[in-house]
Amino acid sequence: MNQMPPVKEMTSRERVLAALRREPVDRTPVCNPTSVATVELMDLVDAPFPHANRDAAAMARLAATSYTELGFDSVMPVFSIVQESSALGCKMQWEQKDNWPTVRMNEPIWKDVEDIRIPNDFLSHPDMVCVLDAIRLLRKEFGNEVAIIGKTMGPWTLGYHCFGVEPFLLLSLDDPGKMMMCLERMKAATVQFGLAQIDAGVDALTLPDHATGDLVSGEYYKRFLMDMHAEFVDTIPVPLILHICGRTVDRMDYIAQTGMAAFHFDSKNAPCESMDIVCDRISLVGNINNPETLFAKDPADVRGEVIANLEAGVRLIGPECAIPLQTRIENLREIPKTVRRWHGERSRAH
Amino acid sequence: MAVLSDITNEFIRQEIEEYLERPEEIERNIELFARVRPAMQEIAAALIEGEDGEVDRLTKQALDGGTEALEIMDDGLIAGMGIVGIKFREAMIFVPEVLACARAMKAGMKYIEPILSDSGVKPIAKVLMGTVKGDLHDIGKNLCTMMLRGSGFEVVDLGVDISDDEFIDAIEEHQPSILGMSALLTTTMPNMGKTIEALIDADVRDDVMIMVGGAPVTQEFADDMGADGYGKDALSCVSLAKSLAKSLAGERG
Repeated sequence: MNQMPPVKEMTSRERVLAALRREPVDRTPVCNPTSVATVELMDLVDAPFPHANRDAAAMARLAATSYTELGFDSVMPVFSIVQESSALGCKMQWEQKDNWPTVRMNEPIWKDVEDIRIPNDFLSHPDMVCVLDAIRLLRKEFGNEVAIIGKTMGPWTLGYHCFGVEPFLLLSLDDPGKMMMCLERMKAATVQFGLAQIDAGVDALTLPDHATGDLVSGEYYKRFLMDMHAEFVDTIPVPLILHICGRTVDRMDYIAQTGMAAFHFDSKNAPCESMDIVCDRISLVGNINNPETLFAKDPADVRGEVIANLEAGVRLIGPECAIPLQTRIENLREIPKTVRRWHGERSRAH
Repeated sequence: MAVLSDITNEFIRQEIEEYLERPEEIERNIELFARVRPAMQEIAAALIEGEDGEVDRLTKQALDGGTEALEIMDDGLIAGMGIVGIKFREAMIFVPEVLACARAMKAGMKYIEPILSDSGVKPIAKVLMGTVKGDLHDIGKNLCTMMLRGSGFEVVDLGVDISDDEFIDAIEEHQPSILGMSALLTTTMPNMGKTIEALIDADVRDDVMIMVGGAPVTQEFADDMGADGYGKDALSCVSLAKSLAKSLAGERG
């Protein structure tokens, strides 16, 4: 990809969308499919957690900092993974400024497939409306300048939240047929929220579905999720970015077969190894390490990881997952800085 | 030296042959199961297969038949869990399968634990376990807790979302030798370091050895935070706790 003839200068939005379509770009986009919200950024625009997770204006202000303060090519207003679960009736812990909101998974709301109900007013729940309004505000402010990426949770993640992680995983083993029925019922939430965000103005959607290598095998992904993810590609008409944390090389081949535009991958997977598996079937986004590099190290270390990804041919560069809230801004700014410098050096060399 | 054919239970023999790769682990397990009575091998096999009903039945049957609770725990439940741990470490099985085995172990331990606690056996050490502030994931911590209890540690499980103050209060109240902290998310991992700093500020850091774990945690991260040890999984957690307890015993003469 990076050996292509020069491409005319693109806007951030054009760059991200081209990379998601695996088309030539003027330079590799820096993308944020999960969250780059930090305490420092909250202070800069007066949009602290938990307010910024529940108020559209604060959410949009904080999301915009990814473009305005960090120089990324995308903005992502959905910082957490809990909005839908709140709307489905899960017990929530919205936390404080320096902590992520979370679902009380040890107090599950569903026990069986019959319990699964997507409320009729699902999309009118304040935590859903907040996201939709924030997307509209961002579109109004930035027009076609920057890529606006939304987020709709996949049924596997919703299952963790609504059934509890342990019961949900045990169900997959005890009664795989019932597990499939549960996923089938929950997928309506994924589609509904995805389509609503498209109406509100997103360019692409991240679809986190945490069938992570830390919990389940690649064969599990194939058995329970591969076809369903392919179905999402057919029913949700914008580029989809699948996000799964942890070691995932054992399922990347399956993921590449779903038709998803991109896969947001974790630093536990080496960029070259991952690129070798997916080839040109899907774009990869990632995979700068969060806890050890972005959180704890210096810009020089960030630079090294960015370059490793660029040299491997990763199409969109960004952190591996939502970053720790105390991450320093200078480390995040180093990502686009290094990408620009790397492309500058290469174009001079040619 | 025992050989594979000394093990009477065919399923256990197959498990060792098919899944164990490290020579020292093959040898250790052959030695172990060759000396273990067939009824205990049967309990271990049922546990490895995640059959909680069967483990429940066999444990009760063994106790009724006069087998010591400690023998059932060591030679049946813990021995079986040892193979499960190796299979998990080598990515031959994943968390759902481990959870099913843990459920089977619990089915046996519900009979064993009350007997052992009444018997006055002195625990190896007292361990305080908790998931850090902001993190509500507890599968890993629960597996470690269960394995530690099964291996002779007294464990006080604080649960999830534990603040610095709650850890400090619990150290003062329970006076454990070891504190185990867990985090599943890269976003909550830094809270382990914050808790260690809070323990230093409260002047209780030196009262405990600290071990940390969780899917995204690494040895490097544990070292940077100032933890005394890192365990990759529940099996390593038990080995680590044993070595920390041993070093404490050495320090305290």
